[in-house]
Amino acid sequence: MAAVDAAARRLGLSAGQKAADALALVPHLVTADHDPDADRRALESLCDWCVRFSPAVAVDGDDGLLLDITGADHLWGGEDAMLADLLQRLERWGVPARGAVADTAGAAWALARFGQGGAVVAPGGQREALARLPVAALRLDEAAQAQLPRLGLHRVGQLYALPRAQMAKRFGLAFTQRLDQALGAAGEALAFRRPASPWFERLAFFEPISAPDDLARVAADVLALICKRLEGEGRGARRFEVVFHRLDGKAFPVPVGLARPGRDARRLAKLVAPKLDVVDPGFGIDVITVHAYAVEALAQGQSRIDAELDAAEALAPLVDRLVNRLGEGRVWRPDPVESHVPERAVARAAPLASPAAARPWNPDLPRPTRLLKRPEPIEVLAKLPDDPPLRFTWRNRHHRVRAAEGPERIGQEWWRGDFDDTGPGRIRDYYRVEDEAGGRFWIYRQGLYGDDASPKWWLHGLFG
Amino acid sequence: MPGSREARIEALRGRIAAIEAGTRTPTPVLPFGDPRIDDRLPGGGLPRAGWHEVVGEGLEGESGASTAAFAALLARPRISKGAVVWVLRRSDLYAPGLVNLGFPVERLVMVRVRDEAEGLSVLEDALATPGVSVAIGEAEAPDLVAGRRLQLACERAGGFGIVLHRRPYGGPARGATGSAAFSRWRVGPAPGRAPPPDSLGGGLGLGPPAWRVALERCRGGRPGAWILEHSEADHGPHPFRVVSELADHDLAQTPPERLRRVG
Repeated sequence: MAAVDAAARRLGLSAGQKAADALALVPHLVTADHDPDADRRALESLCDWCVRFSPAVAVDGDDGLLLDITGADHLWGGEDAMLADLLQRLERWGVPARGAVADTAGAAWALARFGQGGAVVAPGGQREALARLPVAALRLDEAAQAQLPRLGLHRVGQLYALPRAQMAKRFGLAFTQRLDQALGAAGEALAFRRPASPWFERLAFFEPISAPDDLARVAADVLALICKRLEGEGRGARRFEVVFHRLDGKAFPVPVGLARPGRDARRLAKLVAPKLDVVDPGFGIDVITVHAYAVEALAQGQSRIDAELDAAEALAPLVDRLVNRLGEGRVWRPDPVESHVPERAVARAAPLASPAAARPWNPDLPRPTRLLKRPEPIEVLAKLPDDPPLRFTWRNRHHRVRAAEGPERIGQEWWRGDFDDTGPGRIRDYYRVEDEAGGRFWIYRQGLYGDDASPKWWLHGLFG
Repeated sequence: MPGSREARIEALRGRIAAIEAGTRTPTPVLPFGDPRIDDRLPGGGLPRAGWHEVVGEGLEGESGASTAAFAALLARPRISKGAVVWVLRRSDLYAPGLVNLGFPVERLVMVRVRDEAEGLSVLEDALATPGVSVAIGEAEAPDLVAGRRLQLACERAGGFGIVLHRRPYGGPARGATGSAAFSRWRVGPAPGRAPPPDSLGGGLGLGPPAWRVALERCRGGRPGAWILEHSEADHGPHPFRVVSELADHDLAQTPPERLRRVG
């Protein structure tokens, strides 16, 4: 038996029992296999659902969630209302839950598990609130938990007066740390499912909405809310996530990225609108939230479109539109890489990123306008040993070489481990040749004549 | 021949265009700096805003190397400020090769699209953006509606657009049909001249690249054909030098070379 609910407990069942014993107590007991992974997944999806209350949610143990509601409770009109709403919703779905609100994660944990459900501790009131709880509420390790009652310490309040140094010596440092964390004297780092961000806004609707036009409209409204706040603090963000929460608890996130930090709600709404087809409203959307990530300082005032516009500023809207529509990898700026191997000499950078540190390409080295992704084999007739070919056949067309230039020898980068193997067969001699019609080709010979394997010729690019 | 019917109609068209232009402000143009070309263009040059088609000839329709180089040089003097957007279907455009042509690659934004419709709409979007001075796109054949939209986008933001006709996965490009482009250029390679002798006295290797360029149609202009060469010398705004003017029959495609026996 992994877990029992209240009804089972009344029948005398307890967690940890053998299934056979339980069946002896309750003959018509229905059991299901314990599946910790599925439990975990369910808890995590619940955690993701809780984002409608606060962006900072952490999974706690096997059966708990911690929400950091700092700065989010005013949206419900106070902590009491917020907690009541949360518990009611869970109740409606048949997820029995107990909750509490306190200054510290430790105190909230203790009150939720050992106090009356739904307790809301006034700021700074956790010392009194915890005093009456059993020591188990302090999240202690097994040894300490077993020892304390033997010493006559049953309530948390009894621990307040004891000398700390001796306690720490006796029960370990973790003990005092847990106590401090509960009382707010020590900080506690929670592993939130998503980075905590104060940049969070939310709209709730009395009537669930489902029409696509309405979705776009409320997305624009919620974006306007957060952009107003960003503007008030002189900031802009690079990434926004608009999340549509459906009545049945499923959430549809719609991410939007910007090339430069911004806070123009109208532009953002335009970027969100084409992506709304991922949202399946079902019975209706009743809450919409928005987060801003990568928030940076941004100078006051939105730029206007005028002649004196900074070039990057003018380009940013287009880049945003294209990246959000086509995807990250389809819009790029070619950046130089210091490598002699032609296919390695170009890197893809974000279009508005700062210029690369590498040296720019040398304009005096002949390089083709079109570089084939894979060099294509050609049949050649060449004079030995080091001359460009006299004629070659590529894609079943014969070309007679009228003039040629080269060779430019490009050796392999032997310091790279990912080359197939080393040796003279990896040397490429590039020639630029022109056929009788004037077409110019970039061909290379791989390997040297006189080796065991005869060299191969390849066509790697075309010059304009 | 000046007395022919086509020439008269063409002249009338030019006059009508002049009358129409009189009601608007005359469009600013950028001349090539060589009368042999500029005389054929309305107003003595290509307008600064508008879009043009570049069609490859023979093998070039497939590989798109000459057309890309020609388009890069045609667009280069217009990239004073702002960015260049190049819409690709296959990512085989090689930036170091554009550096050879003096193209400002640091202002280049490449976009790879999945299909024709997406490519044309990205091109239109780019042309309508004030921060973009030139947009070049590879497409099979924009129809009249798409062409009209491109034209409106150019007029709205003063952009300069070029559509390269190219099949995305090999095969010769389809012949361009009528469209709303301002002009259509057919470009193929031409044998380059030997390089000028350097200090060592040897003119080895290859000279500057040359193209056989035909202006097939131009709104309010007259068709013509030239051999142009890439040249950085100072002779006008465009990095082209006219090597010679061609008569129309020179535009016939060169027959494919047959393999001859080598004795």
